[in-house]
This record gives sequence, structure tokens and C-alpha cells, in this order.
Amino acid sequence: MKEKLYKKEMVVTIVFIILYTLCAHTASLFVLFPGLQGLGHMWGFPIHYIVPILTGWFGMAIIAVIAAIVCNKLDDEIEAANSADDAASGKGGA
Amino acid sequence: MQPIKIPEVFVMTDVWTAVIIIGIMFALFYYIGYRGMKMTTSTDDLYAAGFKIGPIANGLAMASTWASLATFLGVSALILKLQVPFVYLWIQWALSIPLITLLYGTSMRRMRAYTPCTFIKARYGNPATMVIACWMILVMIMYALGQLIGLGQTVEVLFGVKYEIALLISGVVVIGYMVAGGMTGASYNAAFQMVIMMITMVVPIGYVMKLMGSSGWWFPPLAYGDMTESMLKVIPTFFDTKYDFRWYFALIPAFTLGPVALPHLAARVFTSSSLKSARWAVVWFALFLGFLFSATYVVGFAGNYFQATTGVIIKKPDQITLILQLIYSPQWVAAFVVAGALAAGVSTLNGNLMAIAALVGSDILGIVAPKMDPKRKLKVGFICLAAGGIVALLLAFNPPTFLVTSILWAFGLLASTATPGILMGVWWKQANKYALIVSSMICGIIFIVISPYVIKSIVVGKGVTAALGMSGGLVTIPLSFALFIILSLIFNKMGWAPSQEEKSLLDRIHGWNDYRENRYNGTGWPVAVAIVCLAISWWGLQPW
Repeated sequence: MKEKLYKKEMVVTIVFIILYTLCAHTASLFVLFPGLQGLGHMWGFPIHYIVPILTGWFGMAIIAVIAAIVCNKLDDEIEAANSADDAASGKGGA
Repeated sequence: MQPIKIPEVFVMTDVWTAVIIIGIMFALFYYIGYRGMKMTTSTDDLYAAGFKIGPIANGLAMASTWASLATFLGVSALILKLQVPFVYLWIQWALSIPLITLLYGTSMRRMRAYTPCTFIKARYGNPATMVIACWMILVMIMYALGQLIGLGQTVEVLFGVKYEIALLISGVVVIGYMVAGGMTGASYNAAFQMVIMMITMVVPIGYVMKLMGSSGWWFPPLAYGDMTESMLKVIPTFFDTKYDFRWYFALIPAFTLGPVALPHLAARVFTSSSLKSARWAVVWFALFLGFLFSATYVVGFAGNYFQATTGVIIKKPDQITLILQLIYSPQWVAAFVVAGALAAGVSTLNGNLMAIAALVGSDILGIVAPKMDPKRKLKVGFICLAAGGIVALLLAFNPPTFLVTSILWAFGLLASTATPGILMGVWWKQANKYALIVSSMICGIIFIVISPYVIKSIVVGKGVTAALGMSGGLVTIPLSFALFIILSLIFNKMGWAPSQEEKSLLDRIHGWNDYRENRYNGTGWPVAVAIVCLAISWWGLQPW
């Protein structure tokens, strides 16, 4: 059980590092793939200007919501696994 | 666009309105600080606000601590110079707190740390703590110095008095309430200051945009798209990305990994009432900071547009936010913007000084005098806080060029010296104390040497890229990670491996109640990281 949770912690951390970095560095994608800059306009702005602003603001906030839910759940699962271990080894309370 | 009158001197003429508005604001800061002082009875209260700040207040405080005077003054100046690439540079600052929380903030919160050095001490021992704490204090002093100089300049514009007098007034007023409030006062003040910043940044620039002809004045951060065509007519290259991919990639080591080790940002995560509350605070942080930052891009946009359409060259680009208000708005509106700028400087300065106090009063003093009684520790903490402020104030009168060159450059220094030790220390049991000391010292010194500020003939990169530490950082930051990993493996083989207690700490701070040797103990992935880092460092050495 704990081995599984440990692997989950690793995967969750790596996935959120990637998602956060993509949101904050979206502009780099427009530089790496210049063809994306010609995709047109959004709300009057060139797409390569407004999209990085939106991902760096709302994108980050959305990822933060998902991260809070997933990581808080993971903490609860680790806590439950700890309690189960304690109970099994007789360390638990009454 | 309505006709405008451009004053010859950008100084407020209606000084008394500004004095009243700013006076009321500072009276509120002092009141909140006073309430904070009443609640400060232990070092936990002084350095970590008793670990009880809720998610919304903490989200506001996180954003406020991060959004420095540069958000009001420096960003728009650099957007005037670099245009859209600097907007991209600024967007990624929002990564700092989310990454701190994800990678080590909640883990260190479990051990009730005051600064990342609390962890460094438990994980690597005293000598490594001294090294990392000294680097952090140097960067914090540079940071605080920048805020104090900016506050002095703002008061200089406001009253038209000499810089030295402006500095003295602002320094004494600001440091006074900080010392009174400790971290509890600082946290609630920072939350309040963020509200002031958002209002004073967004509302007045909406008015300016309306006068400039934008129909999106009702929501300045995102609704000025109707001015795109007008902008392209006067500055056809405004939206160009201008730099190659390496320039954008270099933002990651210098400006993403640097702030990850900033102790005053980490302290905001530590003050949370719980781990869950810290994670929810990040959501509020992203929303509030995004709102404020997006408004600063509008100021940069408006500044460029103003210069291009009027032909007026703004001689002090750092003051563009204030100057636009003095030109377009009534004096009392400009006074509110000055109040916002002051709030921005004060909140960050507060965080800087709290971090210096915690580093000296808790981390270093804990090494020098580990048996000091708690009451005396609290007193010494207050003294350290005041001393940090006074040192920064004295330096600001005649600052050494090296210290004021660029706060942004200092982020690269921090990433070269402290970030690898913190991140690898939390996630890798084999991270070695001696390897940390050696890699931190070597890469810190190399970063300083190859900057444009020391030996002019040994510089990696050129122009603003080198001045901001981006080109140097692309060499030394990955090198620091690689060196740290390689030396750790070598030193561990030589019999200097981390102790069982140091390794157990990792399992504990990640929430496990048992110890397993195979957790956070691989060799394959650190070696892969070291190889990739060496390749990136080599890439950074190629001509810019």
C-alpha cells in the first residue's frame, strides 16, 4: 500500500511540475514553434501575446485547484496508511 | 484620443492630498502592526505568525510579498525597453509559490520550519547552513536595498525633496511598523497591502486607457485588445518575440529556479494554518497575482503607446506608472497610485527583513548559541529585525554598485547556490553535505565572476541578457545541480554518506511514519539529471 502511495507521490509531483511549467512558460512554445504565432487573434490581441497571459494567470489557478485537491487527498491516503500500519503493529490508540 | 497636457517636471503639485491619503494608509499599517505585536509572544509568532494564517489572507499575503516595488515601477520600465519578451519574463514569476509549495513548502511546514535553512540545518548540518544562510542574507539585502531605494525615489517624486531626505523619511516610517508587528502583523498587513495594490494599479490605469481611446477601460487587464492595431501602426515590432529559444529557455534556471529558494516566499507557505490551507492559498495567490501582473502589462503597453504617439521620451522609465497618472489623471488619483507603489515596496521589504531576522536570529543564532532561552531568543529576533532594516537603510544612502545592479540578477545567484541543496535535499537521500558546500561555493563564485559586474573581460552573454544573469545562470545553475549530484555520489563512496538521522528526516517530512531505505534513494534519475544539466551548461557557454 505505502509503496503504491510513494509511487503516486512521485508521479503527482512530476506531472504538476510539468503542468505548472507549461502554464508559466507557454510563450516558449510560440518561440519553439513559430507557426503557432500565425494562428490569428483572440479578443483583439495576437494569439501569442494573450494566450501566455491567460495560461500564466487562469491556467496556473486551475492547475493549483487540481493540485490542492489531488495532493490533499494523497496526504489523507498517506495518513490512513500510517494509521493502518500503527494499528497493525499495536501502536494505535484505544 | 483626448488632447493631453504634458508637465515639464514630473512631481506632484498637490502634495497635501497625497500626504493625507498616504498618512491614512500608514496609520492603518501601524494599527495592524500594533495588533500583530499584541499577538506575538513566542518565536513561532515572530517568524511564522504562529502557523495560523488562513488560505485567503495567506494567498493575498503571498502575492503581496512577491509583488515588489518593481511591479509598480520596474516592470513597466523594462517593458518600455524590451516590450513583449519582458511580459513573457514577468508572467513566469507566478510559478514561484506553486513550485515552492509543491516541491518543499508543505514538507518543511511539517517540520515547522521558519526558513529553508531550518531544513538545511537538520539535513546537512551547521557548516552547510552557514554557507547557504550567508548567500540568502546577501540576496535578501540586495532585495531589501532595491525596495528602500525605490521607496526613497517614490517619496522624492511625491514631495520633490532630496533623495537622502526621502530615503530617511520612508526608511524610518516603514522599518518602525515592521519591527512592531513581527510576522503576524506582517502577514495581515501584506494581505491588506495586496488589496491596496490591486485597486491602485487597476482602477487608475483603466482611466488612462479610456483617455487613450480604449473601449476596454472597464477591465484593463484583458480588455485593451482594441488598441492592438493602433499600437502596431506606431510600433510595428511591439508584439515580436525578438529573441531565440535559448533566451526563453534561460528564463527557467534563472527566474524560475531562483525564486524557488527565496526565504521570504517560502516563509509565506510556512505561516499557513495547515498543509491543506497552504495548498488552497496557492490558488488565491495565482488569481490575485495574475490580476495585478496583467494590469502591469497594460501600464507597459500604455507607456510604449504614449512615447510613440506623443514623441515624448520618458527620461526616468522606472517612474512610468506614476508619470502616466500625473499626465492623465487628477492629482488625487495619482496620489492613490503612489500609495499603491509604497504598499508594494513596504510588503516586500517587510518579507525581506523578516527573512533576514529569521536567518540570523533563528538559523545562525541557533548554531552559535543553541541553548539560549526562548524569551531571550524572541528579544534577539526583534533586534535582528531592526538591525536588518538599519543596515539596509544605511547601505541605501550610498549603495555599493555591486549590490544595486539588479535584483533580478540576484535570483540567478540564489539558484546557483541554494536551490540545488534545497530541492535535492528534500527529494534525494544521497544528497551530501560536503557536496553542497563545494558546489554552492564554486558555482556562486563562477556566477559572480562571469557576470558583467566584476571582470569585464570574462562575461558570458551580452547586454540585458547578461545584466539580468540569464546567460550566466544558464551556465552555473545546471552546473551546480550536476556538480552537487556527482560530488554527492563520490563523497558517499568515500565514506562521508548522510547519517541515518539525516536520511530519516526525508521520510518524516514527506508524511511517512516509518523509514524505508528505498524511498527517495535512486541513483539512476539523479545521474540522468546531472548529464542533462551538463549538456545545458555547455549550451549556455556557446556564444550569445
